[in-house]
Amino acid sequence: MIILSSSTNIISYLIENSTYIFQEFAKHLYLSLIGVGFSIIVGVPLGIWISEKKRLAGIVIGIINVIQTVPSFAMLSILMIVLGLGDNTVIATIFLYALLPIVKNTYVGLDSVDPHFIDCGRGVGMSRFQVLRIVKFPIALPIILAGIRNALVISVGVTAIGSFVGAGGLGDIILRGTNTTNGTPIIIVGSFFTALIAVFFDVSLGKLEEK
Amino acid sequence: MKKKLLLLTSVFSLSLCLFFYNSFKRDVNAIKLSGGITSESQILMSLVEKMIVHYTDYPVKPLNNLASANIVHQAMLNEEVDIATTRYTGTDLLVTLKLPLETNPEKAFQIVEKEFIERFNQQWFPGYGFSNQFMFMVTQETAEKYNLKKISDLKNYDDKLTVGVDTAWYKRKGDGYQAFSKEYDIDFKRVYPMQIGLVYDAVAAGELDVVLGYSTDGRVGSYNLVMLEDDLKFFPPYTAAMIARIEVLEQYPELEKVLLRLENKIDTETMQRLNYEADNDLVEPSIVAQRFLEENNYFEEEYK
Repeated sequence: MIILSSSTNIISYLIENSTYIFQEFAKHLYLSLIGVGFSIIVGVPLGIWISEKKRLAGIVIGIINVIQTVPSFAMLSILMIVLGLGDNTVIATIFLYALLPIVKNTYVGLDSVDPHFIDCGRGVGMSRFQVLRIVKFPIALPIILAGIRNALVISVGVTAIGSFVGAGGLGDIILRGTNTTNGTPIIIVGSFFTALIAVFFDVSLGKLEEK
Repeated sequence: MKKKLLLLTSVFSLSLCLFFYNSFKRDVNAIKLSGGITSESQILMSLVEKMIVHYTDYPVKPLNNLASANIVHQAMLNEEVDIATTRYTGTDLLVTLKLPLETNPEKAFQIVEKEFIERFNQQWFPGYGFSNQFMFMVTQETAEKYNLKKISDLKNYDDKLTVGVDTAWYKRKGDGYQAFSKEYDIDFKRVYPMQIGLVYDAVAAGELDVVLGYSTDGRVGSYNLVMLEDDLKFFPPYTAAMIARIEVLEQYPELEKVLLRLENKIDTETMQRLNYEADNDLVEPSIVAQRFLEENNYFEEEYK
């Protein structure tokens, strides 16, 4: 009902503010991608490393699991004390949350490679690094990609909360909707586009995993 | 698979490059502006942002949704915010400086201006030209019926009138309803404490006779409400102005001249109109600001 009654408002809001909405949409996309990008740079090598040194795996994954339990709003506030207001705090928060799916999936992916393949690789005289690069990594890749996919979807939600520390993005639109007396159309538009980014990430990485 | 992977890697590396470019080229020295959660403060922030962009090529970085004057003040002390675009003399006098109430607007402004330079090395700019404070309002008809112009006029009819006020204000000691009632010797027939956003509709619909609302709310203009003059100067003045860190003004010599162009450019009616566009027509504050500046040609004329 609410959606129906304000549908004309939604359309006029969209037309009136299209440049602004696009700008915030791009900002949202950008923040999410960067946070996950940093997480990939750190997380994938970390996952590879702990798959080679099994003793450390428990500790590292334990720590990352603990990070994941901190509520995102609390995490933003804690990091804000160190990094101050703005983009960097949000990027750092996304980075921390994206670590778990990426490290864990990298680890599990590499760990679950059938030992026969590894033996074969060793048998033809490959070094440890070659086994990793030629045998294990390609087999684990779909699982690693699934982790990145998961991380991207999480990051969209975290970015939305990030407007509390002044980072901008679609969270700004939603927040303004809640502060405006008749803000329902604003809230709907803001959350629709936020969901759109998440679905876009999910579908496009799903496509990547297929082959 | 390889092609797709390449695509994925290039997307990520591109955004990372963009990030590093941003953080090294722009962010470090950018002038950081603070905006609040109200439409008014977001409009003013966008005005300041667009003025700086229009006249200079200094990098600016807007920070929206900083909830209170306290947060902004702390952020300014930590040098995370360079220009607080929306500050009200009343709030800063009472909350930030913890000084006694001063109801004369000019005096209040002089006090905060002096104290902020001495205590925090921050410069108050001359006001935007409006003040967002509590005002008693009535509809045009009520005003004519009882011949109301100032708050004292209410005294003769206070046993007939119903009033809607902000819940927090009603209970507040010092400058709340009790103090008001004593100062003006007015005791209304019935007072309804309510959420501030509801009072404008209530008075326009005739459910209440008098309400206490914010002077720059967009609905004041659109419902044609009459604001009653605070003749005994009971309410503290909330003159809106911006504050900048003096170090930043020295670092960017052109900045002060640009910001001074906004002096006295927005009167109460204009602010009501801008707020109305943002709150009722649901135009985003940054677009409201853009249009306002284009209408006025970025206030270029006077300084040629």
